[in-house]
Amino acid sequence: MSNPFRDDLVSRNRPEPCTVVIFGATGDLTHRKLVPALYHLAVEGELPTGVKIIGFARRDKSDAEFRGGLEQLNRRVSRSGHDAKVWDTFVQNIHYHRSEFTDADGYRRLAERLDAIDAERGGHGNRLFYIASAPEFFDDILLQLKTAGLNQPKNGSWSRVIVEKPFGTDLATARRLNEVVNQTFQESDTYRIDHYLGKETAQNLMVLRFANAIFEPLWNSRYISHIQITCAENLGMEGGRGGYYDTAGALRDMVQNHLLQLLSLVAMEPPTDLTADGVRDEKVKVIRSLRQWDTPEKVAANVVRAQYISGHVDGNPVPGYREEDRVDPESMTEAYVAVRLLIDTWRWSGVPFYIRMGKRLPKKSTEISVHFKDAPCVLFNALPGGIPGGNVLVIRIQPDEGISLRMVSKIPGTSMRLEPVKMDFHYATSFGKGSPEAYERLLLDAIAGDATLFARRDEVEEAWRFIDHIEHAWHQSDNPPPMAEFVAGSWGPKEADDLLLQDGNAWRRL
Amino acid sequence: MSNTIPSNCPELGLEVPVADIDQELKKLWEQDEARTNASLINLVVYSEKHGALLENSEIIRDLTREHACRAILVGIDRDEPSPTLRAWITVHCHLAHGMKSICCEQIAFLLTGKVTGRFRNTVFAHLNSDLPLLFWWQGELSSLFSERMASVVDRLIIDSSEWADPPAGFARIREASQARKTIIVQDLAWTRTWQFRLGIAGLFDDPAALRALPGLRSVEITHHPAHRNSALQLLAWLAVQAGWRDSHELALDVPRRNGPSESFGFEAKSGAAITATLSADEASAPLGRLEMRAAEVTLKISREPGSPHLQRHLEAPGHTLHALSPADPDTSAQLLAQQLARGGKNSLFLKILPRFLGFFR
Repeated sequence: MSNPFRDDLVSRNRPEPCTVVIFGATGDLTHRKLVPALYHLAVEGELPTGVKIIGFARRDKSDAEFRGGLEQLNRRVSRSGHDAKVWDTFVQNIHYHRSEFTDADGYRRLAERLDAIDAERGGHGNRLFYIASAPEFFDDILLQLKTAGLNQPKNGSWSRVIVEKPFGTDLATARRLNEVVNQTFQESDTYRIDHYLGKETAQNLMVLRFANAIFEPLWNSRYISHIQITCAENLGMEGGRGGYYDTAGALRDMVQNHLLQLLSLVAMEPPTDLTADGVRDEKVKVIRSLRQWDTPEKVAANVVRAQYISGHVDGNPVPGYREEDRVDPESMTEAYVAVRLLIDTWRWSGVPFYIRMGKRLPKKSTEISVHFKDAPCVLFNALPGGIPGGNVLVIRIQPDEGISLRMVSKIPGTSMRLEPVKMDFHYATSFGKGSPEAYERLLLDAIAGDATLFARRDEVEEAWRFIDHIEHAWHQSDNPPPMAEFVAGSWGPKEADDLLLQDGNAWRRL
Repeated sequence: MSNTIPSNCPELGLEVPVADIDQELKKLWEQDEARTNASLINLVVYSEKHGALLENSEIIRDLTREHACRAILVGIDRDEPSPTLRAWITVHCHLAHGMKSICCEQIAFLLTGKVTGRFRNTVFAHLNSDLPLLFWWQGELSSLFSERMASVVDRLIIDSSEWADPPAGFARIREASQARKTIIVQDLAWTRTWQFRLGIAGLFDDPAALRALPGLRSVEITHHPAHRNSALQLLAWLAVQAGWRDSHELALDVPRRNGPSESFGFEAKSGAAITATLSADEASAPLGRLEMRAAEVTLKISREPGSPHLQRHLEAPGHTLHALSPADPDTSAQLLAQQLARGGKNSLFLKILPRFLGFFR
């Protein structure tokens, strides 16, 4: 029997009461993102009644100590402020479970604890396991969950797992991890999180493309010259992040997951429906259709890697990449990458996609820009300057989420002179209410069983397949493409500009 | 009223000749280039209440923090014998994320005397083209709400709590909008039940509560006397969603009125009889308490007057649940803001409306 009072109430899947078990509960992600996200859902009344949270970690802590630490940070980071009354009720449902990730007895005790909660709650056995630990423990946690039988749903309930990135470090490790995950949980119960997909503008991409009649007819090689996806960060390796970053690099840290996900949303065919698999079926086709840069020569011609040297960002002097804290002084890890991609489909034949991601660029900005072909210059080519640039549709992911369209307009006056003008839509201007944090949306989706905004196994593996060729050319070939340099605070190396110049294009000035 | 508002009124802005409104608005924007003009909707706020123009301007000032619109306020003073028409313009500006100044235009009209015809033509000449028109009609619907007006309105906002005869009011809307089926009617009395409905749905997510639903015996709702319609709509929603039949269909003998209380009888799908009692209480929040009882299960949602939270409580054999959730706002302006944030076509309201109106028979 389903709950009739849920019918027609909200236009989304129904989140159900469950217990959320967070592995790596003493970490930054839990304190800064996950628990504040769950708290905000409680403030908004979106969190189902009876949701319990169990923090699983190795440190010795009591419930009170764990709750105290969470409260301390929630007061600082909660986007809706800290309402003591709501928190006091919310926190009663948070508990701490101390155990090593490899200790079978810890999982047996966890199972008993979950059973007790289920019994107290009247038989609900829904469980959501969130693996937010260091990646080296992913395998162990999954295997222990299986051994303890926690992967098996009971009595019509469900058991799901959310896995944080990085999902593998290459195709082989991703496949192995997928095997472990799929031996433990059904693929339909597996939620590989990519928080970029929880961002409002990323979700709006499908609406923009498929709910507006004016864009989709132009969304192909006949009208589009090229598409750029930029993820610029002005930060470097502050706060000790160099230790992780130097083992990953821009390509694996950002391009394999976030940027290829954005690419697939931009380039996919209209899905047959809005079900999770309906959307993901189309997304994976895009990744599968990427032309493979499978030789060092192809990589050299289509991919640029670079490190920054000392320079200035926001007026402050900053060190070069190899001088950063916890970075190997002889590191060959890229802090910047630009990739030229081709998608071998009917729709995108001959349209280059350019992706760039870099640290220590002049500002923080993530955006997608769709550059349309020039209008035929039959009428205006005789004018001084001709037509000043083509139409560009810009989808800003962060910050200042919104959409703008550049078009050409006549300058008022007696003569015929043309200038580009911009039509702008800003979320913050049009909708005063702030967008939910990506983790709020994604956690609620996982509780509601909606995997649309999570990566599927084949998406992850196809993305790694593409990335592996490049990594191989860089690190294992006899003739690796060179590492370029750029001054910190600039927009990247000259080689990246040349990558576009060969097609007669240029990076958009952000 | 028309003579009591000065030409340069801080709340309404600058008085301008009606023919110059667009030109004067343009001048306002030229004074400061750092501002951004934002508008997603045309929002017309209509009232025949004395002093409503000033009150509504305050409401729009708050509303535009989250809902960018071109606001058109209309005040009608039928007591003034001579027909006059005055207009004021202003912009409401707010800092978005502490940086950009986002501004929304407001045009206020005050009409006196016989207003039919002038009203419609004046107001609708100043809409932002292509943007949807939301018409917030405050108070009782009058004869001005005609088919011609309904034909240009995309969304009609009313508060049936302000109506003496809700069936007659909804009949007038139905009649006026017959030619145009797409008008969306949003009753703020219904919006006022939103968090209670979410709370009830949340409690019935619990398997013990859901198992108890077929055996439910009683529903008690306490409401403020001014918000009987919200309580009736909440009850109508419960009955429709749970599939309860009305007692008058069944000829059950349930006494209707008893002082501040009134009772309704239903029959559940299982055949069990359910008694619903609505109690009016001056000290109650608009919706103050809902209690549903089955043999071993009690569900309760309550709200203290003025509290921002609902208390949700479930007692079942072996376990109890207690949770807080947000309460619905109290003021019409806040309810409207909440309604605008949700959008939608209000199909659920249309589903429960016949049942709600049936309670008046």
